[in-house]
Amino acid sequence: MKRSIPVFTMVIICFFTMMGCRPSVTIDPDTIAYRPLDFSPQQPERVELPNGIIIYILEDHELPLLNVTAVARTGSMYDPVGKEGLAELAGIVMRTGGTAAMTGDAIDAELDFMAGNVSVKIEKDTATISLSVLKGDSEPGMKIFSDILMHPAFEEKKLQEKKDLKIEMLRRIYDNPRNMAFREFSHIMYGDNPRGRLSTVSSVGAITRDDCVMFHNQFFFPRNIMISITGDTTTEDAIALINRHFAAWRLSGDIPRVPLPNVNLKGSVNFLFKDLPQSIIIMGLFAPGKYDPDHYAFEVLDFIVGSGGFRSRIFGTIRNRLGLAYSAGSFYSPRNEFGVFGAYAMTKAETTAQVLSVLRSILDDAKDVGVTDEELFWAKRSIINNFVFSFSSAEKISMQQLLLEYHDLPQDFLTSYRYRIDSLTTSDLLRVAQTYFTVDETTVFVLGNEEKFDMPLSTFGMVTEVRRDDAEVGNSNENP
Amino acid sequence: MMNKHWTNIKSAVSRNVLFAVITAVLLLSGNALANAAYAFDLDKIVRAYTLENGLRVLVAERHFSPTVSLYIRYKVGAVDETNEQTGAAHLLEHMLFKGTKTIGAIDWRREQPLLEKIRVIIKAIDGETMKGDAADKGKVEDLHRELTLLQEEARSLFRENEIDRLYTENGGLDMNAYTSYDQTTYFVSLPSNKIELWARIESDRMVNPVFRDFYSERNVVIEERKQTVDSNPGRQLMEQFLAAAFMVHPYRRPILGWESGIRYLDIDYLRHFFTAYHSPDNTIIAVAGNVDPDEVMQIIRKYFGSIPKQGTSARFIPEEPKQSGEKRIEFVSDANPELIIGYHKPTLPSYDDYVFDVINTILSKGRTSRLHKLLIEKKQIASRIDTTNGFPGARYPNLFVFFATPRHPHTNDEIERAVYEEIARLQHNPVPETEIKKAKNQLKADFLRSLDSNRGLAGMLSYYEAIAGDCRYISNHLDVIDKVTADDIIRVANEYLNADNRTVARLERRNNTSSTLHLSE
Repeated sequence: MKRSIPVFTMVIICFFTMMGCRPSVTIDPDTIAYRPLDFSPQQPERVELPNGIIIYILEDHELPLLNVTAVARTGSMYDPVGKEGLAELAGIVMRTGGTAAMTGDAIDAELDFMAGNVSVKIEKDTATISLSVLKGDSEPGMKIFSDILMHPAFEEKKLQEKKDLKIEMLRRIYDNPRNMAFREFSHIMYGDNPRGRLSTVSSVGAITRDDCVMFHNQFFFPRNIMISITGDTTTEDAIALINRHFAAWRLSGDIPRVPLPNVNLKGSVNFLFKDLPQSIIIMGLFAPGKYDPDHYAFEVLDFIVGSGGFRSRIFGTIRNRLGLAYSAGSFYSPRNEFGVFGAYAMTKAETTAQVLSVLRSILDDAKDVGVTDEELFWAKRSIINNFVFSFSSAEKISMQQLLLEYHDLPQDFLTSYRYRIDSLTTSDLLRVAQTYFTVDETTVFVLGNEEKFDMPLSTFGMVTEVRRDDAEVGNSNENP
Repeated sequence: MMNKHWTNIKSAVSRNVLFAVITAVLLLSGNALANAAYAFDLDKIVRAYTLENGLRVLVAERHFSPTVSLYIRYKVGAVDETNEQTGAAHLLEHMLFKGTKTIGAIDWRREQPLLEKIRVIIKAIDGETMKGDAADKGKVEDLHRELTLLQEEARSLFRENEIDRLYTENGGLDMNAYTSYDQTTYFVSLPSNKIELWARIESDRMVNPVFRDFYSERNVVIEERKQTVDSNPGRQLMEQFLAAAFMVHPYRRPILGWESGIRYLDIDYLRHFFTAYHSPDNTIIAVAGNVDPDEVMQIIRKYFGSIPKQGTSARFIPEEPKQSGEKRIEFVSDANPELIIGYHKPTLPSYDDYVFDVINTILSKGRTSRLHKLLIEKKQIASRIDTTNGFPGARYPNLFVFFATPRHPHTNDEIERAVYEEIARLQHNPVPETEIKKAKNQLKADFLRSLDSNRGLAGMLSYYEAIAGDCRYISNHLDVIDKVTADDIIRVANEYLNADNRTVARLERRNNTSSTLHLSE
């Protein structure tokens, strides 16, 4: 039942004799000699219960706390049509709506008194259920946590309360331009794919207690759950604790497959009006997923283009040199089979077109000319040297291992990671830039007041206006 | 009780160091955390040192992973600016990422006179544009052209963003800085063998920063303001609220500055502000992670030990006169309603500030807190209710604040009434023992959780050392909290949470704009 995980040692930058340095404060920072960093991260124990629940355990006795996190394969992308928002709401009401053993109010009272936290968060493709308690409260804490996972009651009153609050949140979405922009951007990128559907006042209003019960029955069964336990406990105690609360759970099920999004989008320019002094600009493209060998090269490319901080091209150009934005950069979110890349900037309305042109030229340049040796060296060193932070807490280490298994990634994903990054060349990056930075597949999204723009958006292609009513109720049919 | 835990430790390496360490003391009361369930002995891991130049250093040793978090807190913030230069502390924080005479410089001797010319031109542009409609537009255009040419030439003489490059390339995580009303903070986490890099960079920018790209960075801050304030009705309401709650104390001014003021922030004033307040005797360093304190101190002495202290002098900060009568602000926007209510109160280490920590927890922390139960579950009139003790800073007397958003179709009026009812309950009925106990448990557990990362620990140690003058405030805090009684709560609620001491700011939707969503579908 146990599977051993290869132990590896990290040695980062192998110069020595820090002590022998001359005490000169003007030493070139690039020539400082560092002692080697020998590090063998602790390995979590992996245990599989007879009912199929997989557990990762890592002891850490510094603070008298116990942290437990369960992940389950579910998410808003499984929401039935017309019931968008179900997964998110059901997750919240699992936490607040009581269990077979206790009312929601009783659970709140007990958790608050022991200063414990239980949270349930359900996103597009994953549910995360967490417990944090003082060590002495492990037993009552785990009782509540396990009941919430296995036997939620979904009290009607609590469901109604959360529906009302969700509707209020939707009403207020337009008060926060950034949230509004990223919500619409995601909707446009995914198009008709279930990942792109948005919850609306009517879809939230339509959700019933029965929907929540069905949702829970469909996705919460032992083989779909993995649990990480870390903190001030022993491995034996942790296994016993989980066994006491979960061993009798015997259900099974199947998780439906959600079709992949259409990653070959036709390029489009989309505009959403809001009278703001500053525009939000996002340029989106599909990118490789974690299973794709191009994943590593794309990660480094993204770092150089926009996610690597001040030195990255977007930040360096738009913020630093031109002073045209406070926030500017890029993001790369790799899922298993595909990824999403976005380049973004927020700039005053009067420089919207200028900044959009600069963003486009930065992507074009990466595709046409590529990155320099110096940039590649900087990006590789940054990513490799930063890797040690993946192991900076017991919880991180345990979750890291758990998620590798959850995502069906190879066992050597982490151990080979630094090697794979280190072996990349500028031609690898040029190749992935040419493959993925395709102008005619770029989704451009701009939020702002076009009257104040320096040039009309139509300069960049035919503009599709995201109509406000459509955006509000989330049933736009104008996606590419 | 606390003094018996102070132990002087002579530095073993002092003979090699010009400015030797004076003392090293073991910190924090060992039995501070009375309740065994919360026991965590900071004594064992935290040491404090003071260099001869006044630099205060706290080192916390912990060994889970080979990483370290490093904080530098300058005890200077937005409150220390003059009125005319509101936003200077924050812009200065941005400028301190532009490198030094030796970091980022390619040819300092050629760059320096260019930067001087640029400085003069920027001042000339500002002087002219400040005239408004009377400004000589042609002159401004000429000056801009000249500025652009000089900037291009200067840029060929330095490497941009070298500080960021050095940290990032060496594995730095979360490198950032922030300016608050009370202090300015620079932090980064590094692999624990890279502390010398941090010391090299930070000691240099404490002495030799170069304000490169000043003109475009000022524009970046204007964009920052457009993004975080002008596009955010909640933040605009907050600005109005603070400007009303404080009549003369600088907590009334926005940290970013007002847009018209940011445009003319003066490079010479920034230089003066830097020199006057970024001195080792006005600075706290905290290091938490897998380190050997002796080794850390050897590096810190080597790099920071010879920086002379400026003898930072006391500044006059106007005291807020006692409020006697409610103040009300209405802010109209096309956004949904929001509400802020604040009451003046003393800051730490006043005993009443501790009582407010307990009140804060009782009112709004957790799903069983009083305001959550009443406003969100029972009356169902709010979608958000929160309270904060010690807003917007802690160096000076501050506010206890309620933040709420009504749930449509309910109004700010209804929320206000409900909040005042709840305050009246606190003023007249003793809070039951179990409820006080619950709040204390929550405060203790929150404290423990905040220690769960190197960053959390270094952040907290340096914060309280800077604000309270002693990081032992952290663990003593829980001892004092334990003493708070139901009578204390009644007394404090009556003394401070009354109408005459109150400022109310309400965001109301403009009449001619409809709600953004159609609820009847």
